[in-house]
Amino acid sequence: MLKLVGNWVRSVAHETLEKALTRMIRDQYVENLFELVPAAKKVNPIYLVEIAMRAAQGSPIPRPLGSPVHFSPWEKILFNPVHLSSFPTPENVTIRTSVTIGQRARKPLTISIPVMIAAMSFGGALSKSAKIALAKAATMAGTATNSGEAGLLMEEREAAQLFIGQYNRGGWLNAPEQYRLLDAIEIQLGQGAQGSTYQRTTAKNIGADYQAVFGLKDGEDAVIHSRLPGVDTQADFIELVRRLRHETRVPVGLKIAATHHLEKELQIALEAGVDFITLDGAEGGTHGGSPTLQDDVGLPTLFAVTRAAEFLAEKKAAGAVNLLATGGLVTPGQMLKAIALGADAVYIGTAAVMALISEQMVESVPFEPPTSLVVYTGKMTDSLDIEKGARSLFRYLNACVQEMEQVAISAGKTSLADLSKADLCCLDPFVAKATGLELGYIAPQKQQQFFGDLDRLAFAQATADPLPERELN
Amino acid sequence: MSRQDLKNTLAYIHSEINRIETMAGTLSMTEREHYRKLSNFDDRAIMDIAAEEQNAARQLGTMKEMCLAMAQKIEEIETAVEQETFSGGSDRA
Repeated sequence: MLKLVGNWVRSVAHETLEKALTRMIRDQYVENLFELVPAAKKVNPIYLVEIAMRAAQGSPIPRPLGSPVHFSPWEKILFNPVHLSSFPTPENVTIRTSVTIGQRARKPLTISIPVMIAAMSFGGALSKSAKIALAKAATMAGTATNSGEAGLLMEEREAAQLFIGQYNRGGWLNAPEQYRLLDAIEIQLGQGAQGSTYQRTTAKNIGADYQAVFGLKDGEDAVIHSRLPGVDTQADFIELVRRLRHETRVPVGLKIAATHHLEKELQIALEAGVDFITLDGAEGGTHGGSPTLQDDVGLPTLFAVTRAAEFLAEKKAAGAVNLLATGGLVTPGQMLKAIALGADAVYIGTAAVMALISEQMVESVPFEPPTSLVVYTGKMTDSLDIEKGARSLFRYLNACVQEMEQVAISAGKTSLADLSKADLCCLDPFVAKATGLELGYIAPQKQQQFFGDLDRLAFAQATADPLPERELN
Repeated sequence: MSRQDLKNTLAYIHSEINRIETMAGTLSMTEREHYRKLSNFDDRAIMDIAAEEQNAARQLGTMKEMCLAMAQKIEEIETAVEQETFSGGSDRA
């Protein structure tokens, strides 16, 4: 019987495919469904569907989890293992993984691994159970989690051994009785997926628990302003940092979307005396930034980290002011490359959420997206098993750090923090030039000559006055 | 608290932190060894315990680093107290 059905299905499929192929070949493009293929290649399937969504909704379309465009060319960078020139680390030597953030603060924050859970807000993004699960996993791994732009969710605070809270543009965590309960304060002025624009959660999407934590009135929308209330001048910002440091004694940092104006922004942050700077690259995710803000605004994480690390070194602030990188870091290799380029630690958001629901997403697919288990407005948030999710994320963090340790051993280091640009090489001359890394397909002693020749060639082309070939050799 | 009491207290805290640092280092090595042994098993529950042991080793390593940093701070305070005693003595003289 089964064989009979199988044969019948096979025959129908064959006939359908044959008809479809025949029509595809014979019909003119204007009558041909295949038209969608070149159209999708030209427009891109994601953009094609988003065109339709905009046409249907008439307003910016909230896209979860950040831009699909991968701006940072991490795959063009590789670590250099060692064998004889220097030796790999013996396997019985412990690789140090801890990082202290805010060495100058009276109460510095020490994390056991250089990976933290990124700012994802309760209500604005995630459900209460998802936030608690993230906090539990962070505690198990000895690292910190971040409140995101939200009020103080006490259950999250209690579940997190180390809790970084965002002094935010909504004003929901900005009262002394709230920020005094934090282990570090991150003044949030922007994020990679949304720049510094305003955001609004309409009252219809705000439940009783959300309303209570945010202190909202009935029917009141939750609004994240484009500016931090009370900070309209650089002097206001400097005064705020000094006040928070004095009042709380915990590390106080600044979080911004990475931007081409980076050095100007960092200069003001240094003048204010921040303990750490969090840079969210253009690949940063969010619950619902518009595609334009995600795809067309900001600076890629890789270049942001490199430029910021160089700036801090020039200002002799490296080490005293910690650099935290975030935005599109999804593999341990990418995280470690950010550290080798100068970040002290990294935040992960999308990867953490995916790890959290990895074993439970079968509950939601194929009829609902996996994120419906964790998003505040998701249809299946009640189904999330907090303990199971926390354990999945803990395992993921442990595996990531173990893979990082393997790289450190191969590079002959005893600490993840010891990895530097010298342990990397690059496979793209422009990225190499921009990041100050050596180009992988040129021997170290010939780098200067190669780039010198390249500069002269570019100059000759630009002036349309080519140099004689012998000069280039 | 007299200056001598302060010096004695600092010396006590310094010595105890050094001891905690040694204990954390030793326990970290023990936990790491447990991880190696446990990771030989294929059982999911045992692998979870192994991951916890490995993580405990890391956190104990972190405690060791924190103790080192604190010991350094206390040394700085001890030196400052010592110098203050000396300069205070000079003033009095």
